Amino acid sequence: MEFILEGFRKALHIILSGNPEVFAIARLSLTVSLAATAGAVLAGVPLGSWIAVKKFPLKKLLIALVNTGMGLPPVVAGLVVMLFLARSGPLGFLNWLYTPKGMIIAQFIIALPIITALSISAMQNVDPKFYNQILALGASDRQAIWVCLKEIRLTIVAAVIAGFGRLVAEVGAVMIVGGNIRHQTRMLTTATVMETQMGNFDMAIAIGLVLLALGFVVNLALTVIQQNKVLTR
Amino acid sequence: MIKLSGLRVAFDSGFRLEVESLKVREGEVFAIIGPNGAGKTTLLNAMALLNRPAAGTLEIMGKNALSSANMLPLRRAMSAVFSQPYLTNDTVFDNVALPLRLRGLRDAAAVGEVLELFQITHLKERNAKTLSQGESHRTALARAFVTRPKLLLLDEPFGALDERVKESIIRDLRRVIKISGAAVVLVTQDQEGALTLSDTLAVLVNGRIAQQGEPQEIFARPVSREVADFVGVETILPGKVASNQDNLCSVEAGGKTLMAVSSCVAGDNVFFCLRPEDISVSLNQDAGGRRNNFKAKVASVAPWGLEYKVELDCGFTLQAAVTKQLVDGLGLKPGAEVYASFKAVAAHLIKRNL
Repeated sequence: MEFILEGFRKALHIILSGNPEVFAIARLSLTVSLAATAGAVLAGVPLGSWIAVKKFPLKKLLIALVNTGMGLPPVVAGLVVMLFLARSGPLGFLNWLYTPKGMIIAQFIIALPIITALSISAMQNVDPKFYNQILALGASDRQAIWVCLKEIRLTIVAAVIAGFGRLVAEVGAVMIVGGNIRHQTRMLTTATVMETQMGNFDMAIAIGLVLLALGFVVNLALTVIQQNKVLTR
Repeated sequence: MIKLSGLRVAFDSGFRLEVESLKVREGEVFAIIGPNGAGKTTLLNAMALLNRPAAGTLEIMGKNALSSANMLPLRRAMSAVFSQPYLTNDTVFDNVALPLRLRGLRDAAAVGEVLELFQITHLKERNAKTLSQGESHRTALARAFVTRPKLLLLDEPFGALDERVKESIIRDLRRVIKISGAAVVLVTQDQEGALTLSDTLAVLVNGRIAQQGEPQEIFARPVSREVADFVGVETILPGKVASNQDNLCSVEAGGKTLMAVSSCVAGDNVFFCLRPEDISVSLNQDAGGRRNNFKAKVASVAPWGLEYKVELDCGFTLQAAVTKQLVDGLGLKPGAEVYASFKAVAAHLIKRNL
């Protein structure tokens, strides 16, 4: 019990003293996960909307595949990206293995099915008659989707929150693709694992607390955006 | 404005809409009426370019409306209002401005003008989700008119509204239609509204147009039993034409002989049709020159809109519309003995297949 309290005390000291390494790691974690989330939103929301609105053969199969992708184990995503980026792999010439770029790609692949699947179901919840009404007012398909997305922004932001939450807490993929290299690809999650294994519980706790705080701040910001102009009953 | 021929729309459920030909002229109000499930909305959605017909041609404003390249420009030349307002979660102003924004326009003056026309200027800063039903429908109409469409499609507008609100909105709508000169296609179940608003009427039954033409003509001379049923012919008696002299037919129906002006010939099996407002009820036997006059017993008296519906038993059953004054004056109640009379020209014969 003693060592836990002691760990917390030292952890607070590390944070309050502004340990530069911890904050550099936090900055990298935030950058990588936000970039991957942003990419997944830019690709997944339009893709999901399009899948939801259009009629095409094997639509149900595609939706089932996307839904399966939501449960994609990060270590599998990391492994695949690693194999592609490895020096002898098809994308080896990019030299992105063990770089933040590689980690962003791996996290993007984890978040894409989540954002896409949640966008599909949000869009399929829009009354087709509402969609038709917007078309009948002179909207192109793209404009009608945009109007609908604004109507379901609550759910879309919830999808973004779910996606970011998964990424910022994810350890397997960034470990494999990034390699947890100090000052280069060390993330809050991989650092926590390493410090714990080394018995540096104070450092592990400090990093864990920063991770929690980071998640809270980003979600707070997203929630403020989400709840903006929401009618209260 | 709209020319359509050989149009087929098929659904997975097996329902098929088949319209041989239909024409909506510039500036006219064209009403489509028919029972539930007849395909009215499907037909309107085809005109709104919201579903893809399996076959046929559709021309709107002189352009082939089934070519993908023409669809968006045509949709932008018209507008549609459905039975639900389908407003977005924005202010009334933003809702009404939406069609302009979709066309890349910003025109606060045009928005202000339609808000004024539909008397909702005071609501413009309100969130549309907080409006009453009547206010929502007014907003939807203002939104439809803000682009000054040449063609307006209305699908059961205000079906769910209460009478008083509906009346005031329809009054405003009629005024705006007149000012704008737009052609209007109106889908409705309300035959009275269709009769008073429309220049041309089409009756849709089971996915086909059973009859189209002037509303008065259709109401007086329906071509089939289904149409007769739907346009308010209350008395429909199966019978057989006994003779025809100079288009005056005597028809055997319900064990009596009835007279009707028709070109049917002796031996034809027919439905003898009569509108409730064409039957006179009196206490004395003098029919005043009406060729059909029967002694009758009142079977029931029930309120019916502003009048009363009186069921008369003459050996066959007649449904008559009678004013409240007359019900009181003649003391009409079940069991009362009266005379029912109607002109031979008021009766209409529909041939029936056995």
